[in-house]
Amino acid sequence: MDLVRHLGYFLVVTEELHFGNAAARLGMAQPPLSQRIRRLEEELGMRLFERSSRRVALTEAGRLLVPEAREIVARVERMRDLMADLARGDAAVVRAGVPADLGAPVLAALIAGFRDRRPDVRLAPAEMGTAAQVAALLEGRLDVGLLRHPVAADGLAYGPVLVRHPGVLLAEDDELTAWATVHLGDLAGRELVLFPRDAEPGLYDDTLASCRRGGFVPTAITCTDRAEFALGLVLSGTAVAFGAPAETPGVVWRPLAGTPLAWRCLPAWRAEPGPYVRDFTAVAVRVLKESAGMVDEGAPPTPRVAPRPATGFLA
Amino acid sequence: MSPGVDPLERVFRGAGVTGWLHAVDVDGGREVGLRAGEPVVLASVFKLPLLLELHRQAERGLLDLAGLVRVPAEGRTRGGTGLAAMLDDATLSLRDLAYLMMTVSDNAAADALLARVGREAVNALLDRLGLTETRVVHDCRDMLTSLWEDAGVADQSDVTQACADPEVVARLRALDPARSNRSTPRDMTRLLAMIWRDEAAGAASCAAIRRLMALQVWPHRLASGFPFDDVAVSGKTGTLPTLRNEVGVVEYPDGGRYAVAVFTRSLSTAQNQPRADAAIGAAARVAIDQLRTHI
Repeated sequence: MDLVRHLGYFLVVTEELHFGNAAARLGMAQPPLSQRIRRLEEELGMRLFERSSRRVALTEAGRLLVPEAREIVARVERMRDLMADLARGDAAVVRAGVPADLGAPVLAALIAGFRDRRPDVRLAPAEMGTAAQVAALLEGRLDVGLLRHPVAADGLAYGPVLVRHPGVLLAEDDELTAWATVHLGDLAGRELVLFPRDAEPGLYDDTLASCRRGGFVPTAITCTDRAEFALGLVLSGTAVAFGAPAETPGVVWRPLAGTPLAWRCLPAWRAEPGPYVRDFTAVAVRVLKESAGMVDEGAPPTPRVAPRPATGFLA
Repeated sequence: MSPGVDPLERVFRGAGVTGWLHAVDVDGGREVGLRAGEPVVLASVFKLPLLLELHRQAERGLLDLAGLVRVPAEGRTRGGTGLAAMLDDATLSLRDLAYLMMTVSDNAAADALLARVGREAVNALLDRLGLTETRVVHDCRDMLTSLWEDAGVADQSDVTQACADPEVVARLRALDPARSNRSTPRDMTRLLAMIWRDEAAGAASCAAIRRLMALQVWPHRLASGFPFDDVAVSGKTGTLPTLRNEVGVVEYPDGGRYAVAVFTRSLSTAQNQPRADAAIGAAARVAIDQLRTHI
């Protein structure tokens, strides 16, 4: 039997408390309605109505069933509505671009957080670099994105800037692991594994400029957006990487003295934001702070050279 | 070297020196030490308390830092840098003499200033600051003269040759803390911290002293441990046969500032020992890294 449909008949009868009126409301004859209620009672093994010639009344079991039946019917209707919306192509969906290195726990927290805030709207995340997100936002293929700073694109509006300061990942037998804090200049002579420039052009250039400023010119750069591949290069002692502490045995994380690298992230959308962009932005900012170690960008410190007589001009 | 050895000891032994060290967070009071309370020979590091007394006397109106002083060539204390190496009479201000004394460790400038300030005035200041392990018992000239006498030679150039001999070095009074200008690593970091916290004198005087220490020219000792543009290193060296010292303050871009005093003595009498010079910076970085570990 179609249990949901029979629960629907049951609810109409409970509202009318009259089989004739209920059948009329349902657009059917009374005998088939009475027959379906009896089949529901057989299915559930309980009498739901006391029937007399004069009136119809709910039994105790019937009274208990009413709220349960209402919830089941409503949820099935909502499901059908959603599917129907999807089929028509005007469903409540937010298409959001997220960075490739967001990490599984952060992505899960982002989706769960959005589901809690907007259970009626589906979040459709897409893993994309900043360059691809900018193009997709401008072409209308994304509603909102999480971009890496620096980025400049006409026609986009931006949310609050969040920042985190990556440390360095080293093989555990690297002599630099003896230090509690590593300076960028200590990395001189080593290779670097970094995200690809074509995915994150602004941040890539910014990171390498900071490295050069700090005395670290990598002898070679390997680009990958696969975290496992990057960790493999670190583990083998081939290269160092920048990022958050890794759980991989054999890989050691150290903070960089003076936090010379600042990796910034900011939500962005087209100048005319879609209806759920504000919800997504609020959830993303909270999740990135709680789960990804990011903080509000204060006044960024200006890198400053401490002059020394023997290393300055004309010494 | 066994892995259980103190990392500071490992740095010193690897450079063929015995080391005495104290490092302290200027603002937090955390400290790291190695033989930090033992007496050490200051050598030219004594010029730092001399500079402080010079400024305190100026604060009291006893002298004018901009006032000109004539330093004749005749009878000047000799040395390898500054007026001590120059050939002609010079006239310059007290504070420019102080500049030469601190930035190139000019012995002639130091003795001219000590003559003006008074050796006992420096010791009285050290007493008032509670730096009772620190004493100035002679000026540069008397210290150099003791070298000639102990080495049994006639002048400075012969001292340089004689002090390559370990037997000669072994009998130099100038290398004995009991008979030379002396301190302890702990006393020196206390002095540095007071200067960096504006407690050793008025704020303007402390700032002037910090300026001169940042202008010291030598890159091979304390500064060599911090070859980073965003780290500021200020210091004063001291050198005698087999002795290599430097005291100073290292300032990190995050605002952390650390007073460190490093004194070394090498087994070798060779005068060119870049590894021993660099060990001062390397040991200082090890100590400061430990201070920063538990921030």
